[in-house]
Amino acid sequence: MSQAAVTGLNGLSYAFILFMLSAGFSLTFGVMGVLNLSHGALVVFGTYVGLQIIDSFGQFWLAVTIAAIALGIIGFFIYFLFLRRLHGRVPEQAVLTIGLAYMAANLILWVWGPRAQIAHTPEVFAGSLTVGDLHFPLYRVFICAVGLVILGLLWWIQDRTRWGAIIRAGMDNKEMALSLGVNYPLVSTLVFILGVALAGVAGILGAPILGVYPTMGDNLLLLALIVVVVGGTGYIQGTMLGALVIGMLDTFGKAYVPKAALFFAYIVFIFILLVRPSGLIGRKVF
Amino acid sequence: MSGSSENHQSLAEMGAQASKIAAGRETWRVRGSLGITIGVIAIIILVLPSFVPTFVSSLVTKMMIYGLFGMSLNLIWGYAGIPSFGHAAFFGVGGYTAGILILKAGISNFWLNFLLAVLATAVVAAILGFPAFRVFGVGAGATNPIYFLLATIAFGEILSRVAIAIRPVTGGSTGLAGIPEPALGLGFKMTSGRYYYLVFVVTVVCIYLLYRIVGSPYGYALRGIHDNERRMQALGYNTWLYKYTSWVLAAVFGGVAGILFAYFGGIMHPTNLAMVTSDIAFLLVILGSTTVFFGPLVASLLYVGIEYLASLYLPDRWPLIFGAMFVLTIVLVPEGLGVRIVRGWRRLFRAAA
Amino acid sequence: MQLLEVQGVSVHFGGLAALRNVSFGVEPGERLALIGPNGAGKTTLFNVLTGQIKPSSGRVFFKGEDITHLPVYARTHRGMARSFQITSLFPYQSVKVNALIALQGVRRSRYNLTRYLMRDKEMQAAAQRLLEAHGLWELRDQIVSSLAYGQQRKLEIALSLASDPELLLLDEPSCGLTAQESAEITALIKELGPKITVVMIAHDMDLVFGVAERVMLLHYGEIVAEGTCEEIRSNEMVREIYMGSRRSLAGPTT
Repeated sequence: MSQAAVTGLNGLSYAFILFMLSAGFSLTFGVMGVLNLSHGALVVFGTYVGLQIIDSFGQFWLAVTIAAIALGIIGFFIYFLFLRRLHGRVPEQAVLTIGLAYMAANLILWVWGPRAQIAHTPEVFAGSLTVGDLHFPLYRVFICAVGLVILGLLWWIQDRTRWGAIIRAGMDNKEMALSLGVNYPLVSTLVFILGVALAGVAGILGAPILGVYPTMGDNLLLLALIVVVVGGTGYIQGTMLGALVIGMLDTFGKAYVPKAALFFAYIVFIFILLVRPSGLIGRKVF
Repeated sequence: MSGSSENHQSLAEMGAQASKIAAGRETWRVRGSLGITIGVIAIIILVLPSFVPTFVSSLVTKMMIYGLFGMSLNLIWGYAGIPSFGHAAFFGVGGYTAGILILKAGISNFWLNFLLAVLATAVVAAILGFPAFRVFGVGAGATNPIYFLLATIAFGEILSRVAIAIRPVTGGSTGLAGIPEPALGLGFKMTSGRYYYLVFVVTVVCIYLLYRIVGSPYGYALRGIHDNERRMQALGYNTWLYKYTSWVLAAVFGGVAGILFAYFGGIMHPTNLAMVTSDIAFLLVILGSTTVFFGPLVASLLYVGIEYLASLYLPDRWPLIFGAMFVLTIVLVPEGLGVRIVRGWRRLFRAAA
Repeated sequence: MQLLEVQGVSVHFGGLAALRNVSFGVEPGERLALIGPNGAGKTTLFNVLTGQIKPSSGRVFFKGEDITHLPVYARTHRGMARSFQITSLFPYQSVKVNALIALQGVRRSRYNLTRYLMRDKEMQAAAQRLLEAHGLWELRDQIVSSLAYGQQRKLEIALSLASDPELLLLDEPSCGLTAQESAEITALIKELGPKITVVMIAHDMDLVFGVAERVMLLHYGEIVAEGTCEEIRSNEMVREIYMGSRRSLAGPTT
């Protein structure tokens, strides 16, 4: 029973990581209708860069910042050079970004080698929070805190700011948004960059938990995909809910039924596709 | 789908050109020359092994297998407008089933094995077709195929992980190895040299069948659905049924390619179900042009060639080159090579008046 | 028995009522025109009749059968056909292929995997008849996207006749056409014969009065006036609602 609480925390922190990973993906494809399948590979790249900085300079926060910026810049170039011209042509976007993903993964391999990287929890978060009998890893608590802040921030932007309203309007009707004098290309570019940067942060934060190896991009992409489909697109709450469902299922699954755990997420995914294709809290697409 | 997203100008141009070419002798010349070329190529492939080192025959075998794989995907992608990103699921199921039947169930007769593997592929496709088309929508190919894309990607990935998990059956993450040469029965001894011809025959038969399907009333209905699904419904077509059946058909042909692949390499790996392999299929489709029947086959020639050269000189950089092929195709030849070849061909044969 | 019977059909989109309690009938062989300002619900009504939209309430009967929940394609097999206001053809195929596909729609051969459609003499002949009847045979090998708008509209109607329907629903058949082209369409519809019943949405009053026996005026989702051409022409309310605003009507309805 007490173990369940700790597992719960693990599940929750994993969910927040998934949330941050997927939010960017969901935004770009729910908001802009742009499919960026290099999302996973970019996250891995950012994680490697971040870890490199930690290794060389021992600065955790610096690493996170620089990785986020680096990914933001890369994201900008990808959007500007390629995706901008492929608006609405989803299969082409998919093919292009898949190509970029392969290239990124191989570049990572080239520079850093094939072995998995070891990511340590930053010293300041080593240790645990003790409540009675239970020992909650401090790092996990930290992740939850960060996740909560980001969730709150994004939710607030979505519901309470002009940016959020613009983005939501653009989802429904791009021409209308444009005619209202919104610089939609600018908004789109910013959303894209933010999404990628956020995912990079998730990668670094989650590194001690998810592990780091050159080909993990595929795995991350698949997870983001499942989270987004299960949760639904268009609402940040949807992505969070999807992340919660998948995160909790997976963590509790691994804790109690390790052999079958892998498939819980997949079963939920297929179930949602069949029964509620727009996702749990998604804009009605079907 | 990708075919319809080309810039309309070039297609209108082509339309006007096509109209001019349409009647009479010019069509004959183009069609006739095409027929002869296909015949010549077929003959070349047949006699090739006598003249070239075995590794070349091996490459050509691979080319045929991948070509079939690509063409099976093009049935739904180019003709019906269904952009599936998980086609390797069927390739893998076909190959794995063939391997498992031999190694675990002792069914070594090629023909029986083949039949059962094809059946298995059809069943998997029939099952996956339901969730797949639940998120396809009507005419969604033109508006928002994202969900469908994602669903198909997930299918392949999930199946790949299933293959890793059920180790006793599939050999787990190291794959299913030691698939022997196919036994055709009647005391016929199969060698890798002779396997070439088996692949040739199967591929030719499959391509012929695909050709018939594409030119049949059913095939034209698929094209109609691609162009304008709503109108097809208004005209009396049960479009869901067409999409679903074409999905299964494409899966079956993809499965056949997978079966051939299993015997070719002797091994099936979980990645043969995953996106990595699906990516090959749609690279072939897009590089070859979705609107050209033989497109994926031509692309396959190029692909196998580049893959081979890379394996010789830059083996560690292959994924980089592979990825670059995707990017370069979209950036340089988004309409595909097939369209360019056809255009050049027409010009050649119109000029030779 | 009436060919088409609409009983109390209402359609709500969220809070908006696109159709309110619409009821009417259509006799076999009749020529009925639906007129009304933009947004009156005419195309929505068509969508209910053809099955693209299911009504929030009410029922539709075709030849005595309740087809309210029948899928779109099944209605074509029952004898209904429709043309679209925004031209809905197969843009990347030739005119002949468009005709072939349309003709196939109600034939069993549409599931055939083994024939060569292009060598099917019977189908090719049928396509020729259809295209010649609409003056499109010369254009048969042209790709539809390269046709002029007027030719595309002709093909639009030709395709809707391919299934040999008993009830033809024409949505703004002369939309965007020149005066001469509209006159051709009018003549075409007039020649359709008593075996086909025609219900037509139109803004072009020449077309309406040239073809229709009965006219129905839709306004904010309700039928507000109904009668013969003469009756409608002289109806004060009609003039107010529709004729008065006709000058501001410049094209397709919503």
